[in-house]
Amino acid sequence: MQIASDGLTDVGRVRSNNEDSFRILESLHLFVISDGMGGEAHGEIASSMAVETIVDYCSEAKDDSGITLAGAPGDHWAEKTKRLQSAVYLANSKIYQSAQKNPEQRGMGATLTAAWFDNGRLSIAHVGDSRAYLLRGGTVQQLTNDHSLVAEQVRRGIITPQEAEASEMQSVLLRALGAHSQVEVDVDEVAIFSRDVLLLCSDGLTRMVTEPEIAGSLQAETDPASATRKLIELANERGGIDNVTVIVAHFQEEPRGWLSWLRRGSANKE
Amino acid sequence: MAKLSLMFESKLVKEVPIGNRPVSIGRSPDNDIPIDNLAISNYHARVYYEGSRLVVEDLDSLNGTFVNDLRVERATLHDGDSIWIGKHHIKVDATADAAIPWDTGRKAAAPKINETMVLDTKARRDMLSQAAAMGERSQFSPGRLKMPTLVVLSGKVNQKEYVLTNKLTVIGKSPMATVRLRGWFKPPMAAQINQRDDGYYLGTGDNVPTINGTPITGPTRLNDGDLIEVCGVRLNFIFRE
Repeated sequence: MQIASDGLTDVGRVRSNNEDSFRILESLHLFVISDGMGGEAHGEIASSMAVETIVDYCSEAKDDSGITLAGAPGDHWAEKTKRLQSAVYLANSKIYQSAQKNPEQRGMGATLTAAWFDNGRLSIAHVGDSRAYLLRGGTVQQLTNDHSLVAEQVRRGIITPQEAEASEMQSVLLRALGAHSQVEVDVDEVAIFSRDVLLLCSDGLTRMVTEPEIAGSLQAETDPASATRKLIELANERGGIDNVTVIVAHFQEEPRGWLSWLRRGSANKE
Repeated sequence: MAKLSLMFESKLVKEVPIGNRPVSIGRSPDNDIPIDNLAISNYHARVYYEGSRLVVEDLDSLNGTFVNDLRVERATLHDGDSIWIGKHHIKVDATADAAIPWDTGRKAAAPKINETMVLDTKARRDMLSQAAAMGERSQFSPGRLKMPTLVVLSGKVNQKEYVLTNKLTVIGKSPMATVRLRGWFKPPMAAQINQRDDGYYLGTGDNVPTINGTPITGPTRLNDGDLIEVCGVRLNFIFRE
């Protein structure tokens, strides 16, 4: 599978600092996004701590299968999924301990959404209200469930999605990294097909731009860099009330077989 | 002694004098100033004298207590201040008291309304029990624990039926597909079934599937008993106990 990806972050139109962090590790096919919270610069500290921990742990785990797993991930998950989940547990402890040691960091925390592609499958780990979407055959599907109060209320049928969008409580999270000594991490695995498009984004995008608009932009833009620019532009046009971060990855089957060999051959001649 | 006037928009709802005992404000009816609104915590805040100072203290409420426009954990009140709780505000009338100097800085609470915050476990428990009390429709009730299943009626595939356990299910020839089509010239991904909050949706892939004989035009929600046809394969979508 050939993967082309790009990421972009923007402070938005209202805030003065950017508390989002993201990393793309092309060699590992690892994509990580985090949205920090907490006063002063502490949101930035938390989100970059989250992203760095995931990247470091997964890089190390790539070559060392003996590395210990933190927590107790389910047995039926693939190796990479377990590694990713462990990495998130570790990031939680790091942020939590840092906040315990430094009183001025009290209350800092971060969301985390990470995707790791390996052997035809995408492993996903997730805490908070940043999101992963998959665009496939013109349909955009949210891969993660928000751990926010309003999302939980919608799932329980207490409020409608429309009420959730208008709610003043949208910023209230039920889970985040660094809030407690332990955290529950959602994991999932998704089989990836040729022409799938993965989007990871912070809530600065999804609060401003609707799902059909996201699907439209992902379909219209043929390379990841222009898709990230387009999505951030849209969020800012709508008011840009929060930091916006997006990662877009295109998956494309490498051409193989006699048909593509013929095609390649004729292309070379031209 | 000062008094508090509970206002809703510009209407006076209630007046309460402040004596030696703290005045409590919250959603629970046993408060001195009960406010029946879901945005207000059961015991939201209290106002009391500390020496000659009149003080408001937020009781770890979910949505916060504001003095004028500043969110506070604890603040000294002055004549003419407004305490904001949800859409209600409480006017402080302390004309009878000696003026209180403005020397003490108000202690602002950490999260401002627009900033992200995490509920602590207690608040989360309260929220969930409140949700339970309101009656759940929800996937968690036993009625919804039926397994969505595809029963193969005809066509060449690798199993007789499929229980949809994943968020994303693909029907196609690809080895990654859940429902694997067999035979020549079948597309790697013919169609897809995706789980959303409110049900299962059939979507297009390289082909346009039909539901009960009608080609779909976009993601279409599946109902119990629907007949799906794609690439010569007929599938019955049912919820199995």
